[in-house]
Amino acid sequence: MSPKVQRHGDGVELVFDEAEATLLGGLGEQLRPLLTGEAPNTDLDPVRERLFPRAYSDPTEDEAEDDWQLAVHGDLVRERVEALDALTTAVTAAGKRRSRRIVHISFEDAERWLTALNDARLALGTRLGVTEYLDYGKVPSEERGAYEIYGWLTYLQGELIEAVAVADDD
Amino acid sequence: MTTSTAPVEVDEPIGDVDVVADRPWLVIVWNDPINLMSYVVHVFQKLFGYTREKATRLMMQVHHEGKAIVSDGPREKAEIDVARLHAHGLWATMQRDA
Repeated sequence: MSPKVQRHGDGVELVFDEAEATLLGGLGEQLRPLLTGEAPNTDLDPVRERLFPRAYSDPTEDEAEDDWQLAVHGDLVRERVEALDALTTAVTAAGKRRSRRIVHISFEDAERWLTALNDARLALGTRLGVTEYLDYGKVPSEERGAYEIYGWLTYLQGELIEAVAVADDD
Repeated sequence: MTTSTAPVEVDEPIGDVDVVADRPWLVIVWNDPINLMSYVVHVFQKLFGYTREKATRLMMQVHHEGKAIVSDGPREKAEIDVARLHAHGLWATMQRDA
């Protein structure tokens, strides 16, 4: 089942089945600890490094890097947790119609969704070690479920970008 | 959002031109296998106000050459731009213009 995503008035309408809504609603629990650093051993986690990379490529700028991290890291975490909350709250609160969840979001919230979906894909994709040209046929069977979720999140993000992209040119 | 306030150098020798300080900082976005091409274009348009054509050209440069300079300016501006790009999940770094 593919989610239906379309522009609707001053925002976007998304239609999910129950399994999809459950998956999206559950993103909060999985992604929040990675964003906030509350997950165990996150210091060495490549996922954390991908979510929060260095700013200064020059290693001699370590002092500037530390100052920059000190200044912005808290805001980066807060902003992304808020984006994640916006997504999970909207899905959980959405009305049901014939076992479908109908979600209406503003374009502003659609931007938060894009951020949250992207963070989810960064976390999952980094953990799976995805490459640019994915060959799903070569995925080991024990990872197939995770790759399917990754593929589904990718599809949803792509659809949502398409729905809001027209606003870029307005 | 908060930005770092780097201390201003005040002990420059008089009459000496500080060449290093004059060189702008470059903000570079690196290719990665996860971010969608359409998403990268969208973020460039949103953050920098670039036209779709310019945003697409930069995205294609990232895709084919592995990286692209997406903005430049003083250190403080580059720090803000990098933070905004990271907030949107793009892999960005900054370095002084060579």
